[in-house]
Amino acid sequence: MIRINNLQIYCMLLLITAPLAYLITPAIVTHMVGNNNWLAVLTAIIPGSLLIYVYTYILKKSTHPFPIMLEDCLGKVIGKILGFSYILVFLLGTAITLRIFTSFIGSSITPDTPLSVYIGLMLLAGYYALKTGLENMARVSQVLILFGLPIAFLILIISIIEKHDIGNLMPLLNTSYQNFGWAVYEVFFILGNLIAILTLAYFSTDRDKTPRTLFYVLFTHIGLIALSSLIIIIHFGSDYANLTSFPTFKLIRSITVGDFIQNIEAAFIALWIIGIFGAIITKWFMACYVTQQVFALKDYRFIAAPTSVIIGISSLMMGSNIEEEGIILSVIIAVVYGIFYILIPLLVFFTLLFKPNPAAGVENGLKAPPA
Amino acid sequence: MRYRKGSKKQGLPSNVREILAKPISDSLQENLDDLHLLLDRCSDAVFKEFTFGPNRENRGLVIFFDGLVNKEQIEINLLKSMMLELNMRNDNSYPWPNHDVFNLVKESIVSLAEVKTIDKLQDLCHSISSGDTVLLIDGYNIGLVAGTRSWQTRTVGSSENEVVVRGPREAFTETLRFNTALIRRRIKSANLKMESFVLGRITKTDVVLCYIDSIAPDQLVAEVKKRLGKIDIDGILDTGYLEEFLEDNHNTIFSQMEYTEKPDRVCGHLLEGQVCIMVDGSPIALIAPTSFPRFWIASEDYYERYIPGSLFRIMRFLAFLVSLLLPSLFVAAVTYHHEMIPSPLYLTIAAAREIVPFPAFVEALLLEVTFEMLREAGIRLPRGIGPAISIVGALIIGDAAVKSGLVSTPMVVVVAFTGIASFVIPSYNAAIVVRMARFGFLFASGFLGLFGIMIALLLMLIHMSSLNSLGLPYLSPIAPFNWRELTDVFVRRPWFKSNMRPYMKGMENEFRQETSQVSDK
Repeated sequence: MIRINNLQIYCMLLLITAPLAYLITPAIVTHMVGNNNWLAVLTAIIPGSLLIYVYTYILKKSTHPFPIMLEDCLGKVIGKILGFSYILVFLLGTAITLRIFTSFIGSSITPDTPLSVYIGLMLLAGYYALKTGLENMARVSQVLILFGLPIAFLILIISIIEKHDIGNLMPLLNTSYQNFGWAVYEVFFILGNLIAILTLAYFSTDRDKTPRTLFYVLFTHIGLIALSSLIIIIHFGSDYANLTSFPTFKLIRSITVGDFIQNIEAAFIALWIIGIFGAIITKWFMACYVTQQVFALKDYRFIAAPTSVIIGISSLMMGSNIEEEGIILSVIIAVVYGIFYILIPLLVFFTLLFKPNPAAGVENGLKAPPA
Repeated sequence: MRYRKGSKKQGLPSNVREILAKPISDSLQENLDDLHLLLDRCSDAVFKEFTFGPNRENRGLVIFFDGLVNKEQIEINLLKSMMLELNMRNDNSYPWPNHDVFNLVKESIVSLAEVKTIDKLQDLCHSISSGDTVLLIDGYNIGLVAGTRSWQTRTVGSSENEVVVRGPREAFTETLRFNTALIRRRIKSANLKMESFVLGRITKTDVVLCYIDSIAPDQLVAEVKKRLGKIDIDGILDTGYLEEFLEDNHNTIFSQMEYTEKPDRVCGHLLEGQVCIMVDGSPIALIAPTSFPRFWIASEDYYERYIPGSLFRIMRFLAFLVSLLLPSLFVAAVTYHHEMIPSPLYLTIAAAREIVPFPAFVEALLLEVTFEMLREAGIRLPRGIGPAISIVGALIIGDAAVKSGLVSTPMVVVVAFTGIASFVIPSYNAAIVVRMARFGFLFASGFLGLFGIMIALLLMLIHMSSLNSLGLPYLSPIAPFNWRELTDVFVRRPWFKSNMRPYMKGMENEFRQETSQVSDK
């Protein structure tokens, strides 16, 4: 049976949450709460921790991996319907990630190249990764994080050296509770992607330590987004940051090292590509794996080919410009993720709360092999 | 010559097969007839019939291949002993002729260190083909194999392809026994095992699997033996034949085994639990399993002090990136992302490229192809002409190309720097991979700029991480991540901190030294 270690799970989960958020979330949160954006991001640790507790509890009490656990918990019919819905949600997540990324690349790097070329190539690479299996995807994710994460932090630190005004952070908490609440939610719902743990934990070499892994992901994610939000305010101030669609990108564009290295946004995007690629393959894997489980298929890898067509076409048809796609992400996806990644797991959590513990032998549901 | 599977031609003629399957007859004449048939048209085969014993009533036959044996040994230690000394022997403990003559000859007459008995004609043929001499005695259905191997060989010289400034210079030769001796001389342990195999239906090539019994994981050794045992081909002429049979993934440009011509390097790997495979007739030893980052480690790193050793290693990894990506990054920057280039530099590049009629991608491709051709020509040409061609290529053609406006000076600088960086790579098979992959990256950057490069990198990464070398993940210790091992990959860990061997699945003897050997001052 395929086994992946917790470090690999950490990398996969971080890739599923962080890359898109790195570019998009600071912008959305800044629009909502201005110079308090970093506070909103940090506050998301609280609901994020609760969500992790929910996932961990579900894992402890379940004898089967996600989505089979839905059938155990909510009945066969509802479980199957929900399982099928999750396939669509994961495909939607993959498609929107791919679309936002390619639109951004198309508008910022090579505007003359059709989006279908970018989408096609990303899907080709993703398809190849999926065909090689979960173990290999985990290894790839590990390499991507190993090299990408330090550079992501490094870029932020260099940009703060470039220009900084701590006074931009003041005054604190000059925002309405409603806006602040929505901003926290915008950070929080991305963490719903951690639902992948409900499947990945079953492949872990050390399942008992997966909760700790989840917390590591949470803190790294929040740390990265909070730092980028904070630096955006320190660097630009909230008024100027509000005027730009992608303040993180603008921040990187402003970096100049020794009056020689300049305009490194292309290099940043090159690195961002690998991060987004990691996010796409993990979400895509989830879509394929859930399909396999729901329809009781022998393997998930062959599903990569048909789903690549679905993802490709839907990402091409999704939105007409990057602003529209941003709205889809911050409104529609926020609601969909809220329902499927937060509310339904909560429902499962409460159902399991009143269920007796699994029988002896499978007392720790994590130890049951995946179907 | 290739043969088709299932074709009758793949085996030996039926009469030869029948003879080979026969046991040695107790009739010397019958053996002689069979051998004449087997060795028909073999002008180098020598048959020496003679009589011996007090009354010269015993008949004997000595067979060997001229050129593979030490004739002096045969004459003095075998023929002279039997034909002269045996006749003069006056030993009451061996009442002639009632005594077992064969054992008498084997135990008391033949004064050679290496003797053994055989009972099949197939073994007889193999022995004489290997340089041994076979003695047959009339009335006995067994033969005596005398170790008389000796042929003209290249002496142990210094390594030509793996040059070191500090460290042993000895290199393997084409003679297997010399090579095993070079290893045995360095590892004086009974745990150093050298298991022999004979591979190749026709060539009957001696192959040795070498490992340290207490260190190499048992399942690794068993797996290599299993794979070696499955090989069924007419001939093995070099370790390269075995490499293709033994590797896990065949359809890839990435080599999954290291090779070396230096015995000290083999010993270093054996002490880390790897196995080494040597083939008679090849001065190259295969080392397995290996991973991609290990190709950038030179044996000299471990002979230098660890700080310079680490710096050299970091430089080598940088050279790898330069060699792989520099031309494609330059093409991407010039063609798609010129905002990344500082303005003064871009103006210089643009001015130099003004008269060049090709896009940067075509220009880079032309120069890269020319460079590769020059490199290949430099290797294949006789040594006297090789350097001259390189000079002509580098100086005259390069200068003429720039002056005629076919290529720009910055591109020449980029390609030349890339070429120099590629020479830093210590392993030739890894350098080949980089050379091939560089063209892929060049195409990717020519069509899609940085995005293309990143997609190509991702595809390469996915492919590499899907590979294994005899079960060892190809990207280890990066993925799966192993911090302990990583500290001896990108940098060189000091010897006094190298308490453990590199991790390998199934290895039980992990400690290479006692801890705390260095006093804390």
